[in-house]
Amino acid sequence: MNKTIAVFFGGRSTEHDISIISALSSVIKPLELTKKYKVVPVYITKDGKWFSDDKLKNIELYRGNAIDEFCAKSRPVSVTFDGGMVFKKSGPIKKDIRIDIAFPVMHGLYGEDGSLMGLLRMAGIPFVGSDMQASVIAMDKILAKQVAQANNISTPKFVFFSKSEFEINRDAIVDKVMHELKFPQFVKPPHLGSSIGITKVSNRDELINAIEVASYYDDRILVEEAIENLIEITVPIIGNEILQTALPERPLLRDDKFFDFETKYINGGKKSAGKKMGAQGYSELPANIHASLYDASIDIAKKVYRMAGCEGISRIDLLIDSESKVVYFNEINPMPGSLYAHNWRASGVSSIELVERLIELAEERFLRNKKIETTFSSSFLKQF
Amino acid sequence: MRYYWTRFLFSYPKTIVYMLQSSEYHLKDYFSWLHRSADMRLIMKRRKLDYTKKARLLLAFIWLKLLGIYLVSLAIIIFSIYIANYFIIILAVFLLFISPLIITYGISIPLWLGQKLIQEPKSRKIIASAQQIFAKHPALKIAIAGSYGKTTAKEILQTVLGEAKRVAFTPGNINTLIGIARFAQKLRGDEDVVIVEFGEEKVGDIQAMCDLVQPGMGIITGINEAHLSSFGTLDRTIATIFELQDYLGDKPLYKNLESALVSSKIDKNDKLAFSHDGVNGWQVSDVLADVNGTAFTAKKDSKIISAHTGLLGLHNLGVIATVISIADSIGLSVDQITDGLNKTVPFEHRMQPRNLHGAWIIDDTYNGNSEGVQAGLLLLKGLKAKRRIYITPGLVEQGDKSQEIHENIGKQIAQVADIVVLMKNSVTDYICNGLKESKYKGRLLIIDNPLEFYSNLDQFVATGDVVLMQNDWTDNYA
Repeated sequence: MNKTIAVFFGGRSTEHDISIISALSSVIKPLELTKKYKVVPVYITKDGKWFSDDKLKNIELYRGNAIDEFCAKSRPVSVTFDGGMVFKKSGPIKKDIRIDIAFPVMHGLYGEDGSLMGLLRMAGIPFVGSDMQASVIAMDKILAKQVAQANNISTPKFVFFSKSEFEINRDAIVDKVMHELKFPQFVKPPHLGSSIGITKVSNRDELINAIEVASYYDDRILVEEAIENLIEITVPIIGNEILQTALPERPLLRDDKFFDFETKYINGGKKSAGKKMGAQGYSELPANIHASLYDASIDIAKKVYRMAGCEGISRIDLLIDSESKVVYFNEINPMPGSLYAHNWRASGVSSIELVERLIELAEERFLRNKKIETTFSSSFLKQF
Repeated sequence: MRYYWTRFLFSYPKTIVYMLQSSEYHLKDYFSWLHRSADMRLIMKRRKLDYTKKARLLLAFIWLKLLGIYLVSLAIIIFSIYIANYFIIILAVFLLFISPLIITYGISIPLWLGQKLIQEPKSRKIIASAQQIFAKHPALKIAIAGSYGKTTAKEILQTVLGEAKRVAFTPGNINTLIGIARFAQKLRGDEDVVIVEFGEEKVGDIQAMCDLVQPGMGIITGINEAHLSSFGTLDRTIATIFELQDYLGDKPLYKNLESALVSSKIDKNDKLAFSHDGVNGWQVSDVLADVNGTAFTAKKDSKIISAHTGLLGLHNLGVIATVISIADSIGLSVDQITDGLNKTVPFEHRMQPRNLHGAWIIDDTYNGNSEGVQAGLLLLKGLKAKRRIYITPGLVEQGDKSQEIHENIGKQIAQVADIVVLMKNSVTDYICNGLKESKYKGRLLIIDNPLEFYSNLDQFVATGDVVLMQNDWTDNYA
């Protein structure tokens, strides 16, 4: 009998819409074409309700207000943890759907950050992608940089502080940032992806404005010194113990040298005609950089992947100073947009093979973890 | 009987007309398809009914007939209630039960009548008029016959001869007597060359086409088991195609030496027997082939032609040599022939390459014969690739030899392909047997829904793959 795979997407995140596209085009479609699985879509609304219905596999539903009407008319699913994960569909036809494997295709908070992985761990079912701990590290840009530094991996110089610290001691914080870091700088909300809330600044006023913008999205703020002579490189990786890398890819930058949300998802890089268009805009694939930097990028990306404890799939973003030839770690994307399927395809892995491999990796980790003892017999309770 | 209920579906009348249309209104093919189909929901897989005038009329006829059956049944029920004899209701139920059979077989009556009373007299008139047109036409008429390769030969010929001559040729796959006769009505009369493709389904077909067109030159592209179901034996197929030789007598007839069934019937020293080495004194050499086409040199005495054709596959070289020879014989210069050859590009669905996300897809879906399979596999083997993917439903109309032919195809595929994709149908098991016998270790995919597979091909391939899509079956062969 075909295994039932629940594909989770949407969610309470600023990257809600990106998640829908990733799930529908890069996961549900190839999974269904394998004919090996029964695919159950699980759409999480922006206010956190869960819906499951085959109609949710149709992209047309998300154009305009149709999805809101659908959610208003439908009943959310309830979940029980009855020796696994079971969706209980209410309504005139009651139905229980037992989930064999979960495929979270969530970006950003409450999904990619380890929250959903925690729930799936509790349910005791295999799931695709990094586990909770790695997701937590990956989705906290400050924590990830600290872990990288502890593993002797270079990162751009950075300063971080909380939103409340900034509100109480604004001038002192700004002075500290300006003292420790040179301009230009990047101001980032540390838990968001897709470049949302990130601003490049060149003077004190811009810095203050950018911190205010970032603090709108997060309760901590990260300020980084910009890398001079910048080459951005991203390296997609799949695997648990044995890692497979796709082609190092160079996202193309705008004049202000910043690959923002608009360039990634809205423009589709149309301004840069003649270059290849990836899932997130135009890019150079494979990156046309010196062989030594190319190889170093792959090595450092793998090191970062292991250091954070990533499994299944991730994309490691790196920054290279083309003059000093130093490769810096920038960030980890535990669930790359559209799985970065365009790059995997260019690397010789078809979209169907990619999702099949990710399912295999999920099951492999699940079996491995099952062997780990989680109970301990003691006479402790007898004392009471 | 398990799926008899599917004949009561609202879509069933449309399905019947679709089957008739896909069988080109040949009742024998229609009934044969009907008898091997159980679940009528699975019939319309690849395309939809084309609502032509004929299709609309047939559909209306079926619905009227169904309405008649329902009314009669209703009348019987009312009558039985009226006379209080409920036993008669069984008759009405029986009538309703067999209503699908009545419309399924009853449709043949208006079709047969239409063919006999309207179509055939009209066709005879068109053919007689076309015969006059061809008789008066001063052009060199070149007939192309064979089980396979006719359209490719015609296309290369018209592209090259068109460099210096006014050329007319039968469009697309038109190769029936009535199709050729209709084509004749469109000739302007001032053409230098008229190229006509001859198709054959039964003994005497080629002779009838010769009488119609009165060709002065011919090409036999090759003979194989295609249409074996209708011919019954290979000898009959060979004899039918060689009706062209009988007609031409001493006039030039080029014959494919690389087709075993053709070469068995000709003198090996026949100057007009062509192969990839050349023909009629033209020697082909320095051949370089890749996914962008084939480069080669052809020499005869002091004449040297170095050309690059966009056509893929070495099997085309024999036909190309023939075209060079014909072009030379009717006065084209070396430069004109070279220019013409350089303009030849792959024809639609015949070893036509396209790039899909870095993978090369070679569309050979109009190539449905065993020689085509060999040529396709040879091409696939010769091209640089990370993975070689071979997609096929198998071949149709292979008669009693179907099992043997498909097991052999399975064995051949096993030597070349890393991934084999089979469109599920009546010959799939035979191909699988061949793969198994050859201990095939690659990946095998069996696809139930070809339309879904082809429209999502981008999800199955990756950069570096070379994919050969060989042959495609219409629903009536599935």
